[in-house]
Amino acid sequence: MSDEIARNRHKESFLSGIIKQNPLFVAILGMCPALAVTKTFEASFGMGLLFTFVLVCSNVIVSLLRKVVPEEIETPAHIVIIATFVTIVKMLTNALLPELYSSLGVFLSLLVVNCIVLGRSESFAKKNTVFDSFLDGVGNGIGYTLAISIIGIIREILGKGSLTVGKIFTFISYNGSPITIPILKNSVFDVSMGKIFSNPAGGFIVMGILLAIIAAVVNYNKAKKKAAAKSAAKPAPNTNLGGAK
Amino acid sequence: MPQFVYLIIAIVVIVALVAIFVISFIAYRRTPVPKGCEDLVANKEKCEGCLMSECPLAHGREEGH
Amino acid sequence: MNATVPFIVTFLLAIVNATLMDNVVLIRFYGICSFVGVSNKVKPAFSMGVAVAFVTIFASLVCWPLYNFVLVPAGIPFMDTVVYILVIASLVQLVGLVIKKYSPALYKAFGIYLPLITTNCAVLGVAQGNTDSGLSFGLSMAQAIGTSAGFLIIIFLMACIRSRLDAMNVPKAFKGIPIALIVAGIMSIALIGLGGIGS
Repeated sequence: MSDEIARNRHKESFLSGIIKQNPLFVAILGMCPALAVTKTFEASFGMGLLFTFVLVCSNVIVSLLRKVVPEEIETPAHIVIIATFVTIVKMLTNALLPELYSSLGVFLSLLVVNCIVLGRSESFAKKNTVFDSFLDGVGNGIGYTLAISIIGIIREILGKGSLTVGKIFTFISYNGSPITIPILKNSVFDVSMGKIFSNPAGGFIVMGILLAIIAAVVNYNKAKKKAAAKSAAKPAPNTNLGGAK
Repeated sequence: MPQFVYLIIAIVVIVALVAIFVISFIAYRRTPVPKGCEDLVANKEKCEGCLMSECPLAHGREEGH
Repeated sequence: MNATVPFIVTFLLAIVNATLMDNVVLIRFYGICSFVGVSNKVKPAFSMGVAVAFVTIFASLVCWPLYNFVLVPAGIPFMDTVVYILVIASLVQLVGLVIKKYSPALYKAFGIYLPLITTNCAVLGVAQGNTDSGLSFGLSMAQAIGTSAGFLIIIFLMACIRSRLDAMNVPKAFKGIPIALIVAGIMSIALIGLGGIGS
């Protein structure tokens, strides 16, 4: 019985970070990188992966140490732990994926103050078991990666008209060069005004519209639920009132 | 000066920074809020857009899980 | 014809550039979380801007020498991120301590926002960006000053706009953050135009 409760809790920790409590679209955290690195799909995806790595590692370590760290210095300890992992990730990325390192620039270092990473350790990892924290990290990481990849795809297709894979992850290549899939280019939809989306302004606009769409969907669901609850509370209209006569 | 002296200086500086950080953090938490400010509660109107998860004024504000 | 431009001119131009053309929030995308969160009303926005300005300038002032005179000679430049965040976080706590003890008025104005400044990308972003780009001390300080001024101006403008926006008929789905982002996008277009549209 308690086994099943534990399994449900694991499932909940993992799944909630992906859709229901998506850190970017629902909790609206971690927007700085989401707007800045999403000019191309590959950079966004790479950022998402690195973010997941930092989040999972810091969640696990914070959870491991949660009984050892005195309550008063929790926040400083978390910050130092996260900073250590970010430094490690920086060095690894510089060595293994130098293209990604130069596209991300300062934003890789800014993962240290990423609201999501700090937020998850403060609100979840310090109170839960290592495995749950691990799942929470993976779930949130997947959610964030999905979210910024979507933004990246939209901005790259609208801004450049094509999708390029293989510039950063150089192991994906065709005849030794990156693959460019022209989607809007050279077609009826080739709008040169699309350049705005590669610019910073486009980032804001895309994000604003996406959040508005999500808010609209959430509002619609809420309204549906409210209507369903209301009609369930009313007595059913076909009670035989006439029978008592 | 030989290389490792610089390294030792750097390590001392880093340890000193950590100490300063921890001490100032604890001191900040421990000093009482000044007289006129006890009523600075986190009401919904003021904190609606705030995304800070470790806000000391947020009692009863649900956070994630 | 090749007169060397006096440093003061370069310095001032760098400040203007960092304030407007390379605006911290609208072009470089730092500090978005605090920007969107606190720009609802004018007074808190202004307090937040001032607090960020103070911390940014002081942090850059301390971080640049630490990097160039302590970390680099010691051969551990990769420790920069850790050192900078320690400096920034300590600075925020120390400032908070001083305000709490000696100035209830200031605490009332922006005491609650202080912890939020530690996680503000702008502060760390400027300090890290300065040394990543290898700027000289003068130009690093110009960046810090420009960033602070840019942040203050933009958050103040945004608060003015948003407080009027609240009274208007914004479609329900756009209320709050989405419309703020779109407004930011439009302001950003203006600044891009100021800098000249390049590829």
